[in-house]
Amino acid sequence: MSSLSGLPRRIIKETEKLLQDPVPGISAVPHEDNARYFNVIIQGPDSSPYEGGTFKLELFLPDDYPMAPPKVRFLTKIFHPNIDRLGRICLDILKDKWSPALQIRTVLLSIQALLSAPNPDDPLNNEAADLWKKDERRAIETAREYIRLYASE
Amino acid sequence: MTATKVPRNFRLLEELERGEHGVGQGSISYGLADGDDVTLSKWNGTILGPINTVFENRIYTVQLYCGDKYPDDPPAVRFVSKINLTCVDKHTGRVDPTKFHLLKSWDRNQRIENILLALRREMAAPYNRKLPQPAEGTFF
Repeated sequence: MSSLSGLPRRIIKETEKLLQDPVPGISAVPHEDNARYFNVIIQGPDSSPYEGGTFKLELFLPDDYPMAPPKVRFLTKIFHPNIDRLGRICLDILKDKWSPALQIRTVLLSIQALLSAPNPDDPLNNEAADLWKKDERRAIETAREYIRLYASE
Repeated sequence: MTATKVPRNFRLLEELERGEHGVGQGSISYGLADGDDVTLSKWNGTILGPINTVFENRIYTVQLYCGDKYPDDPPAVRFVSKINLTCVDKHTGRVDPTKFHLLKSWDRNQRIENILLALRREMAAPYNRKLPQPAEGTFF
């Protein structure tokens, strides 16, 4: 495991914990050739608009992690007011609310929670946010349609 | 010491954000060709022809394709606007990596922005600045 040489102890610890004691509905596995780069899979939470969906994400721990937050993006297309067309996520702890006390685990849990609680008042995807406010039922139908098209396995 | 390697996608997202804020005092610009392209592969760039050259006041469109190995490998670059430049194929508009130093001596610290700025410097180079040019608004 030469890729682990020079890796901060904190990252090694977090990775071990993620692999040994994964969060239900979430898996995060580091790339073989880059221990700071994770393949992430999040299952859409039960009784949310995203139930039944399997979402792929990528996560990267920059040089200054944990002083700086991880970078995370959805690779699977998703219709969500706080996730844009390129999979970028609007989440305060990934930006100004980040604290080094948070971890990869907390970040992924927060993203899972964001799927349960879309927030159209802080939109990144205006089309989704507008529909969510105007016609929530149709918004949820669209989210489910995206899952059928892109997030079913 | 092994430096942290920023993966392709996050590197390209950084470049996208930088491009959105504008670089090079408006002499170049770039962005994704398709705002829905989650693979972040196809990019459009523009170069404003440098003053005191035959390219002055013209805007040149360039396409860049960042493959899976970007930024370890350079993108494929081609002019959409017709141009006569020593490093550009006369028939296809492709920038010849063997004739363009930045692609030839590529390293992963280089970016789309540097390519566009270097192409603009090429336009101003003594061997290019006075070359006869095709009509404005024509395309490869």
